[in-house]
Amino acid sequence: MRKTLLINTLFFLVAAKIFSQEKFVDTTKVTEIDEVVLTATRTARQLSSLPLPVTLVSKENIIKSGTIRLDEILNEQTGIITVADESGFEGVQIQGIASDYILVLIDGVPLVGRSAGNFDISRLTVGNIKQIEVVKGPSSSLYGSEALGGVINIITEKPKTETISGSASYRIGSFTQQDINLDLKQRINNFGYGLFANRFSSEGYDLNPDVEGQTVNPFENYTFNARVYNDFSDKLSVFASGRYYNQNQDAGFTVNETSFEGDSKEEEWNAHLRFDHAFNSKLALEYEFYYTNYNATEKLVDPISDDVLSDSNFDQRLLRPEIRGTYTFENNSKLTSGFGYQYDELDRTFFDEKVDFTSQYAYIQYDVDLFEKLNIIAGARFDNHSEYSNQLSPKLAIRYKITDHIAAKASVGYGFKAPDFRQLYFDFTNSAVGYTVLGYNVAIDKLRELQDQGQILDIVVPESDLQDPLEAESSIGYNIGLTYKKKNWNSEINFFRNDFQNLIDTQIIARKTNGQNVFSYFNFDEIYTTGLEANFGYKLNNHFTINAGYQLLYAFDKTKEDQVKRGEVFARDPETNETIAVEKSEYFGLVNRSRHNANFKIFYEISAIDANINLRLIYRSKYALFDTNGNGLIDDYDTSFIDGFVTTNIAATKTLFKNFNLQIGANNLFDYTDSGVPTLPGIQLYSRLNYNF
Amino acid sequence: MKKGILLLTIFSFLFVACSDDDDNGLNPEPIQSEQVANLSAPQTGGQGTGQDIGGPFTKFDFASGEVTTSDTDWDIAFRGTTIAINGGAVTGTADEPSRNGEAGAAIATGTFASVTSAEGLTFAQDGSTAFAIPTGSDNGWYNYNFMTNIISPIPGKVLVFRTRNGNYAKVEILSYYKDQDTSQDARYYTFNYVYNPNTGETSFE
Repeated sequence: MRKTLLINTLFFLVAAKIFSQEKFVDTTKVTEIDEVVLTATRTARQLSSLPLPVTLVSKENIIKSGTIRLDEILNEQTGIITVADESGFEGVQIQGIASDYILVLIDGVPLVGRSAGNFDISRLTVGNIKQIEVVKGPSSSLYGSEALGGVINIITEKPKTETISGSASYRIGSFTQQDINLDLKQRINNFGYGLFANRFSSEGYDLNPDVEGQTVNPFENYTFNARVYNDFSDKLSVFASGRYYNQNQDAGFTVNETSFEGDSKEEEWNAHLRFDHAFNSKLALEYEFYYTNYNATEKLVDPISDDVLSDSNFDQRLLRPEIRGTYTFENNSKLTSGFGYQYDELDRTFFDEKVDFTSQYAYIQYDVDLFEKLNIIAGARFDNHSEYSNQLSPKLAIRYKITDHIAAKASVGYGFKAPDFRQLYFDFTNSAVGYTVLGYNVAIDKLRELQDQGQILDIVVPESDLQDPLEAESSIGYNIGLTYKKKNWNSEINFFRNDFQNLIDTQIIARKTNGQNVFSYFNFDEIYTTGLEANFGYKLNNHFTINAGYQLLYAFDKTKEDQVKRGEVFARDPETNETIAVEKSEYFGLVNRSRHNANFKIFYEISAIDANINLRLIYRSKYALFDTNGNGLIDDYDTSFIDGFVTTNIAATKTLFKNFNLQIGANNLFDYTDSGVPTLPGIQLYSRLNYNF
Repeated sequence: MKKGILLLTIFSFLFVACSDDDDNGLNPEPIQSEQVANLSAPQTGGQGTGQDIGGPFTKFDFASGEVTTSDTDWDIAFRGTTIAINGGAVTGTADEPSRNGEAGAAIATGTFASVTSAEGLTFAQDGSTAFAIPTGSDNGWYNYNFMTNIISPIPGKVLVFRTRNGNYAKVEILSYYKDQDTSQDARYYTFNYVYNPNTGETSFE
């Protein structure tokens, strides 16, 4: 018991040499402080002691890998994939769970602004971050809506030195890609500040020259971040952060041989204010206030006739005050609790009017070492929301230290995602084809309007089906794993299963006189993702590190699986075009899911010449983009499969004159391209000069 | 397993054929199993042109197995993705043929071979509110893919028709594109059909 106490105290101080043999070997030269994770429990916890599956990416890893946007570095982590879905927007997938269900945070506060449910993480530069924490599996017990599949939290760096420190860098690469960073930090007695500016631009690229327009159009974006820290006393300190992001991208679209031109703009504001209050030696309180605004506009005009093809805007605001506290008991167990209020508002094209949601929430979590070897975290969160039924999200996680080197962990948790604004308030008619999509809450009224205009042939869903409020989508996630750490070895294996229910999808509610359909949103899909993840790290010596990771994934729709079993799903024989029944073995699973994902990384430090070099291979097996044969699922007869591929990235850095780093590298060294993978350009060569001061 | 099903199918085929002979003591006309390739079904307007859909339907007669221009001796007719039948009333769309027969249509689910009879199906007719074969993606016989802009006949949808004269036929549309090649021109139907020339008989085997 006394030993536990000692260890916990050392956790707190985060200086424990005792853990030096437990270094996370993803990168070389990791200091103990880098291994502390905040996201999993909302308290500082040693990564290796957590009962949950967590991926930690350090600043050093980011810099050595030569990655500049969040999607690039996360793509290299086991079981994390960025992929564009049917809407054409890119998002991140974790444990086979789509971007819609993954929450993205900066310093613990959420970012908004999704396109068709996808959060585009390439919006985020990795130029000024201390580390990226990814908690896999349902985390709604702490973070509420959207945290079904996991949470990505970007942690910014605090100033530590009394002299001005920082870096300035310039990078230029293929496609005239340019990245400029300026980072300044200083600590003056009790006051500290951090300033950061980034400009990123590219000429874009074209994977499909036969089609008019580029795959990715030229763009430029800016990120500014200012942070202020002040300790008023031993007991009270403040953290304030303001962030601004702005992107301008050329846009173009060709319809019936008329080229429309214009641009799309994105703008984002974040204001984050937090007071840390050590009430006494036991109780630490945090008072937090957060506001964010995400704005996207796009206007496309025919330059000759001035005809406007589209003029869309999307303006979302979120306001969230929260108070939380952690009480540390005699036995070092911790009780964390918080409550808050959230106001969320969206004004956009295809909405009749500005709509808003409000919610109140409270959560509680108890983190205890029951015996020397057993750590338990139990928690729950309650969300009361203006638009859907209340949600209670419990979670339980256990870690058992079997030997000094082997530990077992298991967790089970509930996650949910509130129906989003689009699913409730959309009113969209496709002008080219003529179909209509209506949000659930406005469907009846809008249907009546269409009926009065004589556009409706018949309504195929009883109106009573549209009366009860749409349910939140939810999941239960299970993770069971083993970790092994000994000397230079570091490995873990984790089995996961996520069962989703009440997934929201579109369904035909009426037929129009023009032969097209009216769609609305319903809860009906039940899917699961299951598989295992394995990571192995081996540190040969202080210079040489090898990491390998693998994820096996099965992701299926349960209803469709049953239909296939009953022989109710058909496809066409590619030779004769005649109908054949789809066998169970021919049902491939959900779109955009690869059965196998793997990575292999070598980092080598050449101290003699002050340089380092690394090689990273990332593999994903074949996956399908969408159903092509009209049976509503992906089977072996579909033709939208992307064959498995490997991307190879290398980077080498040499330190010059002590403060300068010159980096050269190549992403996608073997120039793999496929017009079905719009986010992957061909080989990208770059060189970067960095000055540290 | 597959062999077993095949054997069973042949077996039941023989069995049904024999029992028919026994029951009637007549020599019924043999069932016709044919393929129609590249039936052209043009239309004017529609699909983003801003014009109303129009143009004559291409009419087909099961008894002769031929496309026809007859105003009366036709069973089903095609224009773009729309299929009309010679039964019921006009739907109100432009350039529509008038109905003078008693044709009906039903959509069965399964492989083409698994639809062995028209027995027990409910036959709809064209009318002022809708076509018997509903129009629109995923409503009737086809699916329109927004990603590829390709119209594919939904696999497993077998169109069963009662002809204007009370015979039965089943149809599986194989392709909406010329030479069954989606890179070629659309509005060319290729379909398999099985027609029972014995009036009133529902069997397709």
